[in-house]
Amino acid sequence: MFSTGFKYFFGVTVLSVVALVMSVALFKNLALIGVAITFLIAAGALLTGLAIITSDGTTRDANVQTSDMTTQSLWPLVTGIGTVFLALGLVTSSIVFFGGVVVLLAALSEWMIQAWSERASSDASHNAEARKRLLNPIEFPVLAALGLGVVIFAFSRIMLTVDKSTGAVLFIVVGTLVLVAGTLFAIKPNMKRSVGAAICALGAIGIIAGGVASAVSGEREELALAAEEGHFTHKECGPEESEYFDKLKEETLSLRSAVSATIIYQDGELIAKIQGLNKPQKSITVPRSNATNIIFRNATEGEFRLVVDLGKPKTEDKDSDHDVDCTQLIETGGEQSLTLKIPKSSSADNHYKLFIAGAEDKQIIVVVP
Amino acid sequence: MHKTLKSAVVVFVGSLVAASCATNAPQDTWQPKGPNAKLIDDLQQPVFAVAGIIGLIVAAAVTYTVIKYRDRGQPIPEQTHGKPALEITLTVIPALILAVVAVFTFGAIFKLAKTDDTEMIINVTGQQWWWEYDYPVQNEFGITSPIISSGQLVMPVGTKVLLRETSRDVIHSYWIPALNGKRDAVPGRVQTLRLEADEPGIYAGQCTEFCGLSHANMRMEAVALSKEDFAKWVANQQAPYVVPAKDSLAQQGETVFLNQCVRCHQVNGLMRADGTPAIAAPDENVWSGAAPNLSHLMSRNTFAGAAFDLLSKKCRDEVWGAPSNVVGAKYLAGVTEDCLNQKDLRAWLRNAPEMKPMYANPADLEISNGKYRGMPYLALSEDDINKLVAYLLTLK
Ligand code: HEC
Ligand SMILES: [Cu+2]
Repeated sequence: MFSTGFKYFFGVTVLSVVALVMSVALFKNLALIGVAITFLIAAGALLTGLAIITSDGTTRDANVQTSDMTTQSLWPLVTGIGTVFLALGLVTSSIVFFGGVVVLLAALSEWMIQAWSERASSDASHNAEARKRLLNPIEFPVLAALGLGVVIFAFSRIMLTVDKSTGAVLFIVVGTLVLVAGTLFAIKPNMKRSVGAAICALGAIGIIAGGVASAVSGEREELALAAEEGHFTHKECGPEESEYFDKLKEETLSLRSAVSATIIYQDGELIAKIQGLNKPQKSITVPRSNATNIIFRNATEGEFRLVVDLGKPKTEDKDSDHDVDCTQLIETGGEQSLTLKIPKSSSADNHYKLFIAGAEDKQIIVVVP
Repeated sequence: MHKTLKSAVVVFVGSLVAASCATNAPQDTWQPKGPNAKLIDDLQQPVFAVAGIIGLIVAAAVTYTVIKYRDRGQPIPEQTHGKPALEITLTVIPALILAVVAVFTFGAIFKLAKTDDTEMIINVTGQQWWWEYDYPVQNEFGITSPIISSGQLVMPVGTKVLLRETSRDVIHSYWIPALNGKRDAVPGRVQTLRLEADEPGIYAGQCTEFCGLSHANMRMEAVALSKEDFAKWVANQQAPYVVPAKDSLAQQGETVFLNQCVRCHQVNGLMRADGTPAIAAPDENVWSGAAPNLSHLMSRNTFAGAAFDLLSKKCRDEVWGAPSNVVGAKYLAGVTEDCLNQKDLRAWLRNAPEMKPMYANPADLEISNGKYRGMPYLALSEDDINKLVAYLLTLK
């Protein structure tokens, strides 16, 4: 009366309940394990229910002959590969290990369901149909996601390798090809399946081959260099133009109000405008360890950079350079914001100031009470 | 009417009436004590009157209709649908009233937002759960080096003070009902609030933007002093550090302070035993990156976000109840030994998080990177507390 499927899934459910009880008893922090097992219980219960309602998806009565004829199966092989990855992962890296777990789980479930479907009835095509009904809703999205992932990854490798203008051309060419292929499919709906498949395969192979080739040849030179030298994180605060930091300047601001001070370089002098104080100031007060925004505006002919001297770095090394932060080089009429966060009060041997790069006498004292 | 319902209504209305005539309501929005608050009051009084009259008319009309046409078994009267003339009139009249109110409201908003007539600025920084004030150098007021304080905002009377508010953690809101409306203190932004007091006095307020566990304990006071008294206050805030007398209890307290407290609290001028200045590092110990500067703790008369008194009940009543011509002198006297509220200060040192909920349990600091959100329990001995109280009393 209890079908095989029911017994199986019921067993899984009971086992996972036991596992949950045990992990509640054993682990203090249940977050991930708890969620995972709870989902397992839910899935098991659902499948148990389904198995009862559908009598394992068959209309088999006791006297239906089951076929002994089994189809060829890929799953033992894949299971073997998964096991190897699992073992390999134990000694190499956790990514390989988890990859093995995923492959193993996928292969085992496919195998189990295939084995079950083959004994569902004596009609092989009916059995195949049963297998598909169960597995296609899972297989299709997973395979599609995998395929998309591969395409996107390969494409991103290509874009990181080719230089900028080639990249643009490439986009145009690939886009056109996709459009042409799409048009072709649309106007010739009766085209042979094999032709369509060939076109798709050709595209896929092209992209994957391109991706592999690009990944092997490495990122384009400037990116490799920048990553190596950390140009995008390291601000060069000298008076001269910095090759990387001064690229792509932002010289307009969306947020103008509610800043702590506006620092203006005007008539060869650096002044601070502070809301509430009508006269231009030569010093600003900044609360300690609080992110404070200021705006730098260049009103002098030429390109200038505002630098903030943040005092001696925290290392006890008395001779080391001062910490600095700065804006990019700003053209006449341009402005840029700068955020100050200074954790220590200013004192005799810790004072802070803002100045124009290369002209330290043009300065504003920063007081941190 | 049901009997209990009747008495419930009586109690409710009665308590409303009783609440409306509290004698001691320091945060009453109907008692402006400065031009900015008066501006708001001048707007809200007539609006309230007009709204009240309209409210009464509507209530009377509803009551009349309910009673006159109540169901006595009479036939249902003729049903009409829509009367354009009436409907248009009843839309136009409120629209006109609102338009008139809007004109005056916008006028008031623009006046309250003015910053170009400022005479003095004070930076106000909110954090969980207290306010810090710093006064940038302003020579006209004798402020020749920055002053930093907390809890009580001291300002000169008859002076247009502009607060420049910001926050170190979450959004707070500064509100001294007697002096002006509210203004949010938002991290990363500096927003301004005008304050001006007509008379010397102490004006209570509180944070009005929910900011976490101890929001209710995040209070503040604005202390308005006459110009002469304010100058005295400024001079005292800039006075150099006074080293406690040799071999006194206070001196032992200084040592305890250096060991236990300086990692969070700055006392300007305090030196370590090796002769280097003791620089506090609240950025390494407190989530907001700041702890109150205690250089002149005893010059204020409340502590911990103005939630507790530094003055004993009797002395407090004397200062807070003083008429405006002497309140300044009383305030400037600060906290002397016989006026100190020993009980609360000691309790604070014994176990601060017990007095003011502050997430300061060391076991729960994982989410804040090991940093306290307030002052932690420090397991001080009674002996150390005695020494510390003696020391804190020297921080005039
Ligand atoms: C981990 C940091 C830390 C340490 C250590 C610490 N405090 Fe505090 N303290 C604070 C913070 C934060 C506040 C503000 C709490 C509030 O009001 O919400 C505070 C408030 C105070 C206040 C009230 C100040 C005012 O103006 O409102 C006093 C007094 C005080 N602490 C004394 C001490 C003493 C004495 C010690 C040493 C025994 C000490 N604290 C150690 C963080 C610290
Ligand atoms: Cu608050």
